[in-house]
Amino acid sequence: MQKKEFSSHISNQLNRNLEELFNHILEMGGMVENQLDMALSALENADAKVAKEVVRFDKVINQAEMEIDRLCIRVLARQQPTASDLRLILATIRIAIDLERMGDEVCKLAKLVIKFHKNDPGVCANYAGYAELVDITTRSREMLKVTLNAFARVSAEDAMSILDQEDVVDHVYEKACKNVTEQFKKNPENVESLLEVMTALRASERLSDHALNIMESIIYLVQGKDVRNMDQERLTKFLEKI
Amino acid sequence: MSRSLVSKAISRELIWIALSLGIFLFFAWLTGHWVIIIVLYLVLYVARQVWSLYQFEAWLRGDSDVVAPSSGFWQTLCFFISRQRRTLEKRADLQNSKSEQFHAASMALPIAIVSLTKNHKIEWFNNAAQTLLSIKPSDTGRKLETLVRQPEFIQYLKQKEFEKPLFLEAFMGQTRTYRCEIFDYYHGHRLLMLEDVHELYNLAKIRKDFVANASHELRTPLTVVNGYLEMMIDMTDQIPDFWEKPLGQMHHQSLRMQAIIEDLLTLSKIESDTLVNATKVVKVDEVLKNIEVDIRYLYSNDYDIYFSIEEGLTLKGVEEPLKSVFTNLISNAFRYTPKEGEVSVRWFSDTLGSHFEVEDTGIGISKEHLSRLTERFYRVDTARSRESGGTGLGLAIVKHVLERHDSELKIQSQVGKGSVFRCDFL
Repeated sequence: MQKKEFSSHISNQLNRNLEELFNHILEMGGMVENQLDMALSALENADAKVAKEVVRFDKVINQAEMEIDRLCIRVLARQQPTASDLRLILATIRIAIDLERMGDEVCKLAKLVIKFHKNDPGVCANYAGYAELVDITTRSREMLKVTLNAFARVSAEDAMSILDQEDVVDHVYEKACKNVTEQFKKNPENVESLLEVMTALRASERLSDHALNIMESIIYLVQGKDVRNMDQERLTKFLEKI
Repeated sequence: MSRSLVSKAISRELIWIALSLGIFLFFAWLTGHWVIIIVLYLVLYVARQVWSLYQFEAWLRGDSDVVAPSSGFWQTLCFFISRQRRTLEKRADLQNSKSEQFHAASMALPIAIVSLTKNHKIEWFNNAAQTLLSIKPSDTGRKLETLVRQPEFIQYLKQKEFEKPLFLEAFMGQTRTYRCEIFDYYHGHRLLMLEDVHELYNLAKIRKDFVANASHELRTPLTVVNGYLEMMIDMTDQIPDFWEKPLGQMHHQSLRMQAIIEDLLTLSKIESDTLVNATKVVKVDEVLKNIEVDIRYLYSNDYDIYFSIEEGLTLKGVEEPLKSVFTNLISNAFRYTPKEGEVSVRWFSDTLGSHFEVEDTGIGISKEHLSRLTERFYRVDTARSRESGGTGLGLAIVKHVLERHDSELKIQSQVGKGSVFRCDFL
């Protein structure tokens, strides 16, 4: 399935429903991208006002997920799609869940900014692991953009780059964890703040995991093969074949 | 080609017939088989025509190895056809090169341009769009909102009518200001234009901030100066006589400066959107009646004043700025009308909407000034304006406030006869 065309069915209604679903998921993706952008600028500028907006925006994203579920159920119940259409619906449901989870993780990042702002405005940049936090979040943002573009183009060409990015993120995360643990030992009085940083780090790392999950759903949609449980070597080989 | 009685093709054919028939008749005369030769000639003639027809058809069809029939009537016919063909080709080439040039021009534009169908499917785009929106040539036919997913952008795209451009503070992961505009063109297609206006936007912002800050900072010292000047003027017994006039002038000028600063602050407040928040129903008739009382108190000795206000006619908007629009326009009328003149103020409604109008019999404004009249500090006659005590910002304020109320200032004027200032609220 190289190029998804929504005019290949005799049933016009099915065409329309599938296209609507396709657009909805990307619109929701756009919302998460926007939220992540705001969270990033909140992190970089220690801006609690923007962070609060991020948290508020999460409700809209949750709504969007429910709407997508509703559309999926409607298509499944009324038109019983098969083959690539069925895969599209399955992938859509999975991607919607991942996107919604991403929204929640972004909220955690925003909450870190809000908490630090309350305690002592403008100092969060000095904590250990903060630079890595921004780094991971920026990379996750890029990954999300690439995956959503891949979905829009219905192609799994960029899957490899996502895998590479995920490796880098894991590496940075490990380094950040080490940094933070050292700080735990050195400055026991800062435990609370460091724990917050730890939570945010975990959240940003999860962001990249979700982006990878979305890519897996896209591979499933395009190639019809479930790659979730493949080990690294086989996966690389499989992707090279595409 | 000159037009003779018999066309060129026919005359060629006739010559051909005459020649060939001559040869055949010569043979008939030699051999004496008249009938056979003539029948033979007719058969050959028909065969030649059929063969030529066949060739002509093949040539028209474009078979490469067939040469156009080249005898008699057919030669001329083929000549005409190929000549016409060549002109058409030339014209097509010209069109082609023109459209290619056009294409190249749109590609070279620094503004991102994307052509969309009615359903927002991408048709074509230029190089700038490729980099700015990160779309690829293979994306033609996809919906634009699947690739450019910013929520504000999608919302803008879904609109039915695109009157105002959209300003995006951040776009595609870059925190720069972009101006985005969509036009309808060519049978329901749409043209999206996206431009990086970060520098311009920043400059405008700096200018606004500067004016607001500077006026704010100037206000306090000026109040102090003004206060002491007033005190000094009051202490006439302790101050030498010759200081009286200078002090009076200093006081007058500092008051003028204060007025200018107040107006500048009002302007920057209007510009920074703080006034648009709460629109309420404004009882314009009452507002105008209050103004009328003040105006009559000030000017009724020197001018004929007419107020005609429609009772109960209200307007949706913000009261304070609207009030300053009315007072500005009315006081301008008095400022530029010589004594014994007439000023009439009207507030009325018709099928089109509500209208506010100020008419005076003043000095008037000549045409070349009209378009620039609402610019800040624009003066028609510098000397006179200073004397009359205006700040030079009144009409700028009027213009901005009216813009916020979806209205605009219309001015009709004749030098020496007077002017009409009119705002239409729809």
